Amino acid sequence: MSQDAIVVEDLTYRYGQLTAVDRISFKVAEGEILGFLGPNGAGKSTTVKVLTGQIRPQGGRALVLGLDIATDSKRVQSEIGVCFETTNLYEQMSAEENLRLFARLFGVKPFDSSALLQRVGLAGRESDRVERYSKGMKQRLMVARALVNRPRILFLDEPTDGLDPASAEVIRGVILEERARGATVFLTTHDMMEADKLSDRVAFINQGRIAALDTPHNLKQQYGKRALRAEVASPDGSLASREIPMDSPETARAIEDLFEHERVITVHSEEATLEDIFIRITGRGLV
Amino acid sequence: MNLRVVAALVWKDFCLFFRNRFFAAVSALGIVVYLAIYFAMPGSVDETLEVGLYAPVVPPVVEQLQEEGVELKKVASEEALKQAVADGRYVAGVVLPPDIMDKLATGEQARIDLYFAPDAPQEIKGGVEVLVTELAYLQAGEQAAVELSEEIVGMDMAGMQIPPRDRLRPLFAVFLIIFETFALANLISEEAERRTIHALLVTPMRMRELFLAKGITGTSLAFAQAVLFMAIVGGMSREPLVVLVALLLGAVLATGVGFLIASVARDMMSVMAWGVVVFIVLMIPCFSIVLPGTLSHWVEVIPSYYLVDTVHRAAGFGSSWGSLWSNLAILLGYEAVIVCTGILALRRRFR
Repeated sequence: MSQDAIVVEDLTYRYGQLTAVDRISFKVAEGEILGFLGPNGAGKSTTVKVLTGQIRPQGGRALVLGLDIATDSKRVQSEIGVCFETTNLYEQMSAEENLRLFARLFGVKPFDSSALLQRVGLAGRESDRVERYSKGMKQRLMVARALVNRPRILFLDEPTDGLDPASAEVIRGVILEERARGATVFLTTHDMMEADKLSDRVAFINQGRIAALDTPHNLKQQYGKRALRAEVASPDGSLASREIPMDSPETARAIEDLFEHERVITVHSEEATLEDIFIRITGRGLV
Repeated sequence: MNLRVVAALVWKDFCLFFRNRFFAAVSALGIVVYLAIYFAMPGSVDETLEVGLYAPVVPPVVEQLQEEGVELKKVASEEALKQAVADGRYVAGVVLPPDIMDKLATGEQARIDLYFAPDAPQEIKGGVEVLVTELAYLQAGEQAAVELSEEIVGMDMAGMQIPPRDRLRPLFAVFLIIFETFALANLISEEAERRTIHALLVTPMRMRELFLAKGITGTSLAFAQAVLFMAIVGGMSREPLVVLVALLLGAVLATGVGFLIASVARDMMSVMAWGVVVFIVLMIPCFSIVLPGTLSHWVEVIPSYYLVDTVHRAAGFGSSWGSLWSNLAILLGYEAVIVCTGILALRRRFR
């Protein structure tokens, strides 16, 4: 990770009286995956719209690849790929035609649609009209479309929302491949598990403001509870729960006692999830 | 302006147009049906003369003349007769003075006023003069002294009468052009409804390239159909360049109207609803060609009037640039306003 691919300073956007994005500031380094997490209506999609040049910021500024998005949006857009939350493909055209159209818009020559379709698991269906595709296939094609110009920054807005596990796994694989290629990934999601798995850092956005921004590991360290939870069988056959703090001088002894005197059924670490941390920081859930 | 981007967008729009079964089928069907109607219409002029007659005292021989290929229709007043001739309901009007019977009986010279429609050919004028002279002869029983006074009501288009089916040519051509407003408006509306416009707007494509591409798609679809129709029905045989320019301007007008409809329509149903309203208004001037005299001068405020009038006069009567430039200039002015308004309205919608 080296230079900053995205620099946001005091970015603000309002819809009438509603402030959707409220003076947020953050940076994303080149080659980094930033998980942008928050519940519906938190300001995630508005931030993506500003960063991709779909709407102009009303306050503050955003530099994408060193260019001011408010004045240089077309130059920025030639270097980015965007995968939208809702399907917006030309459904009466085939997958191959959809990709070829966008390749022509980006001026990509020569363009090999079959290699891209192969990557997202759509090889063999490239000539079918998109209207005949399942939701998962359409979403994979949306991701493929976002990759047509080998973008330096990939914006993905809820890319796996509502998908079958196989399609979601294909998309996660592509995200990691893109990071390995050196692309920056701005991943908007409310799936905390996914963000945890994929992101180098995560930002929690709530009511238009960034509530926390750090690596998942650091957030868990900072806000999580370090403990072991064991499930034990009582003499009467019922199950009981035991919690052992991990940072106490007595931890080792407590574990030894547990296994010596009780019939242990399961043991788990009590590491906090990102969702727990989000709730703790913002006081609200993710829906 | 990046022509590669424009070409890609036009290619995409043509793909989508021809894969929309409804619009592709209706467009093709339209040409076939209009051609069928055109060729089913009489290709020659009806020889029966319909002549209006105002006569306070009707000579008995009038009934006798009715059987000789002439239909004399009685009219209540001289003013009504002039108006009927001006409106094209009769090719000519005859006014017999109240004392015609007395004058014919005494051999005194009688004055008979004749009114002719602007497009009444010379043969018909001569025929009506012979008819009136014969009427006087039959009534008097000998060569009668009559003074014939002729007046053309409206613009004189002597010798330029055209068959009924050729009157329909501009109607069908304009119909084909204006129908494409539906297809174009639907193509654009679908971009917004299915949010594909957002995918386009995050590429290097600029809004002006999008509008140019939509304009090329809409104009070429409308223009190609109208030209094909006019070529098949012989509408290009006289002043083809004027006809082509008029059809091209008409196609651009349809594109502008398509932009406007797309800026307010949310889906295909609302495109149809708005489109029908606009379609009816734009078709009104066509009826002034098919049914001359049925409409007043107010139709001239409708932009399509200048399209249909130009096509009618150029294709039907061979009118050239000299007499049609003002029509084309007004049409150009109208469409500049409509296209610009449509683009502004669409920009607001796409944001």
